Amino acid sequence: MAIFQKLAKGPLAVHELAGTLPVSRPAVSQHLRVLKDAGLVTDIKDGTRRLYQLDPKGLALLRAHFDKVWDKAMSAFQASAEQPVIGEKHGTSRGRSRRP
Amino acid sequence: MAQAAEEAVVRKSVRVQATIERAFSVFVEQMETWWPADHHIGAQPFQAIFVEPRVGGRWYERDAQGNECNWGQVLAWGPPHGVTFSWHLGPDWKFNPDLAKASEVEIRFTSEGPAATLIELTHTKIERHGEGYEQLCAMLDSPNAWAGTLAAFARVFESQAGR
Repeated sequence: MAIFQKLAKGPLAVHELAGTLPVSRPAVSQHLRVLKDAGLVTDIKDGTRRLYQLDPKGLALLRAHFDKVWDKAMSAFQASAEQPVIGEKHGTSRGRSRRP
Repeated sequence: MAQAAEEAVVRKSVRVQATIERAFSVFVEQMETWWPADHHIGAQPFQAIFVEPRVGGRWYERDAQGNECNWGQVLAWGPPHGVTFSWHLGPDWKFNPDLAKASEVEIRFTSEGPAATLIELTHTKIERHGEGYEQLCAMLDSPNAWAGTLAAFARVFESQAGR
């Protein structure tokens, strides 16, 4: 998935991608097509050149996934951190081994 | 370029009524008390989540049978002010050991009084999970994924209505 990471830094043409990767230009083109079909990459015209860039919508979905995960986790963390310290009384702190 | 970088970051902050030491301790030593139980990567639900307290330490879950699944590793360790993890779980909740394909989660703890702590979480380099994202797309399209879950959900109501 090196292509995806290269494009995360900014739009690139096929030959620019191929020049930095140990794969052939047709292989890069084929992978770009897959990414494009998956909605992760879009192409734009820059004069006579065709540049590929990450589709902001695809990245936004990926971001939304983690956003949701952390929303849920952080509010649960807040509740847990604000619990009275009763771990010892119930034996959850010392009673259970924390040793890996 | 800047836009792509900006979008691949998730920031969260929360204030808790607890000392900085307690907030840090609950975060790294009692993660199983607050981590959403459905977000496990092992076949079975986790019983405990461990963070080895050192740079390079493992971050992993363990189920009731003792099976362990890695989540990531400790990249920076500075109790009680901060900890940084590598995050190796794509949207498919599968572990990818390749550090180059892992995102990073930095958590900063700032004391705001005797019983008040600000926790700021920054999840960066999310674009590195692009591969997982492709799988997520495939999962969403497959009948076993969300559509399937919703169908099962709908069936519960249908069976109740049929009684």
